[in-house]
Amino acid sequence: MKLRAKFKKDGDLRYISHLDLMRTIERAMRRAQIKFSLSKGFNPHPLISFGPALSMGAATHGDYFDVVIEGKIEPERFKRDLNKTLPNGLEIIDCYIVDDKDLLSDKVKEAEYTVDVYLMSYVIDLPDEIKRFLGRDEILIEKESKSGIKIIDLKNYILDFKMIEAKGSKITLYVKLKISEGSPGPTYVVKALDDFLGHVFDMEKILIDRRNLILN
Amino acid sequence: MSDLKNKIDDLLMKVNKPARYTGGEINSVTKDVNKVKIRFAFAFPDVYEVGMSHLGLKILYSLMNERDDTYCERVFAPWVDMESLMRERDIPLFSLETKTPLNMFDVIGFTLQYELSYTNILNMLDLSKIPVRSKDRKGYPLVIAGGPCAVNPAPLSDVVDLFVIGDGEEIINEILDLVISCKKDNVPKEELLRRASKIQGAYVPSLYVETYNDDNTIKSIKPVEDGIPVVIKRRIVKDLDKTYHPDKQIVPFINIVHDRIVLEVFRGCTRGCRFCQAGMIYRPVRERSKETLIELADKLIKSTGYEEISLTSLSTCDYSQIESLVYDLIEKYKDMGTGVALPSTRIDAFSVNLLNEIQKVRKTGLTLAPEAGTQRLRDVINKGVTEEDLVNSTKEAFKAGWKSVKLYFMLGLPTETMEDVKGISDLAHLVADVYKDVNGTTRGLKITVSTSTFVPKPFTPFQWYPQDDMESIINKQNYLKELLRGKIFSYNWHEPNMSFLEAVISKGDRKVGQAIIKAWESGCKFDGWDEQFKFDKWLEAFESIGVDPKFYAYKKRDFDEVFPWDIVDVGVRKDYLKREYKKAIEGRLTGDCRLYCTGCGIKDLDEGVVCFEA
Ligand code: SF4
Repeated sequence: MKLRAKFKKDGDLRYISHLDLMRTIERAMRRAQIKFSLSKGFNPHPLISFGPALSMGAATHGDYFDVVIEGKIEPERFKRDLNKTLPNGLEIIDCYIVDDKDLLSDKVKEAEYTVDVYLMSYVIDLPDEIKRFLGRDEILIEKESKSGIKIIDLKNYILDFKMIEAKGSKITLYVKLKISEGSPGPTYVVKALDDFLGHVFDMEKILIDRRNLILN
Repeated sequence: MSDLKNKIDDLLMKVNKPARYTGGEINSVTKDVNKVKIRFAFAFPDVYEVGMSHLGLKILYSLMNERDDTYCERVFAPWVDMESLMRERDIPLFSLETKTPLNMFDVIGFTLQYELSYTNILNMLDLSKIPVRSKDRKGYPLVIAGGPCAVNPAPLSDVVDLFVIGDGEEIINEILDLVISCKKDNVPKEELLRRASKIQGAYVPSLYVETYNDDNTIKSIKPVEDGIPVVIKRRIVKDLDKTYHPDKQIVPFINIVHDRIVLEVFRGCTRGCRFCQAGMIYRPVRERSKETLIELADKLIKSTGYEEISLTSLSTCDYSQIESLVYDLIEKYKDMGTGVALPSTRIDAFSVNLLNEIQKVRKTGLTLAPEAGTQRLRDVINKGVTEEDLVNSTKEAFKAGWKSVKLYFMLGLPTETMEDVKGISDLAHLVADVYKDVNGTTRGLKITVSTSTFVPKPFTPFQWYPQDDMESIINKQNYLKELLRGKIFSYNWHEPNMSFLEAVISKGDRKVGQAIIKAWESGCKFDGWDEQFKFDKWLEAFESIGVDPKFYAYKKRDFDEVFPWDIVDVGVRKDYLKREYKKAIEGRLTGDCRLYCTGCGIKDLDEGVVCFEA
């Protein structure tokens, strides 16, 4: 049977890579004595798949993974047992059964993020600046991809973008983006805004939190 | 403290592999620092991925944390990217568990696994503003060191307050007890050290002087006052089966060098390879019973969730019940996808068949170490392996479907000629022929030949023998590069300058220690890492203190010469080593002492030392 688990990852676990995360969950399942199915052949590994990879340093409060289980297990039980063996910073927040043919990769359509940034110089009315930023006909940026650098229009991806909080120099932004093959992450959006404003953010100190992946 | 944590946090997005510095792994230990009497930093002078792979750390970390009065935390050498940011922002080196600066600990314990990590020790101390010379440190932290390289404590004698010689788990509790009582009574450091020097296996270098002859050889190493032991006897765990082995191991988030459970099957080795220091300084062989191992394996697998368990020792296939141990473990855990690994494989069909069973659960590579290219030279080093063994074992392997094999050799072994070097290539070609016999073609075959450079080590029969000079090694490497052309072969070699430095330090005296400090002052660190190694800085360091490094590596030693490490008694007698040296030069073999005792003397070291009997 196939389970879909919604999880959060934050704190120091922001610093582990996608591959590290997979291994961490695999080992936690073993510690919890959850019988997961193994791939055939040399170096058997669990049949587990994730949504779009998080970038290093990013937190999430609403990512998913699918895992194939041998036999049967109550989703509630899976959640409870696994939460006992996961390290601090990782937690299952929801779990349910999905059809074997249901693929997570087909389901993920949109993602919501909050981004904390720090202002290095004063901006009079940031919400208004963001409106001006979005009001342009197109927002062209360069994006690295497997086949080299490409020019893309961020307007095709941004569903929502606003400031939600300002505390001293710390600004919290909200970004909602379309997800598809090769779609840009929130860093590109914030960087484009930073360029537009003439470099006001400390781009070395930016904290991304994927609040939610929206499945259809 | 949390302030330091925030400062560290600010760096993590700027460095490679930030999880090296965060801690918080499963089975790492959390304690209330206010409720313990002693805080111990287990310091590994290399990066996290190397240090976390080390068995000694796993054992001592768990053992010390079993005590309610002790909190043992871990600290590793920050990689150069992290270090430069730390220095820039004045962030001290910190422990992973509580992010406490190193200078706040009561004891810092370094493990000495490799001579080329010594400059990292100095760097780690300095990163926490701790003076590197022991004479410049007044109170705590106490700096102690142990591990295999501690059998020659001379080069770090000006740095380390106290060396522990031998099995750490045997002595550490006595040291902790002593420090706790001295702290309570405000006993000054000198007095603490004087008391420590009376514990068997402890060496306090500041209580000894090293004097020299006109030809720069050692005249004597003597205590400076009465009542101090004149020789330091190594500490030995007598009954390994009853000795602590952790049933939990930390599970790192990032990939480490040996990313699996490590279960120590036995300690010591009876093969008697004459170049091998471990084979001499870890005698005698002490096994854990199969029942104990199965029980430990079960606890370790359950508490870690690891997908692989490595049965470790110096020569695991020699374990008296290896076959049934391996089969039982495979059977029990294969459904979970948890496999078994053997870190080293003997060159015989039995071992290869064992590997074949193992790889039915999880794929494993085939690594064989004939060490020398000709029978003559293998007899010199007492590596009891024949060409026939190699043919038989690789034949079994290729029949079972292996397509690649790694062959390990050493260059510069005593008495080596170009004929022996050619023998390395001949063996590689022979293995290729075996593959062709089995498969009818060499398609798909990959043979990797690796050569390290022989380093004569203290307490081995070859301690009197000079190291081959760097130029000659380079010639031999070039010769092999010529001979191992063709796409089925690939050839890896070791940086000869590094092996030279390793020889100098491993046979070094206190003067070499001065050069180590100098080299570090001029920027040397991570010397075992090709891209960080600065050989010219090292040569300058030796020059500036007026010491010739070649003297240590290249001089043929007299049998009656006093060595810097003669202050230590590891148990294997010098006359045994001399006898082995002579037999080596004559090309005569010494048998495996599991079968009959060859009289190395270890049993006389201490009461209750018994050798494993088959
Ligand atoms: S005393 Fe004999 S059996 Fe024991 S390690 Fe030495 S040679 Fe081997």
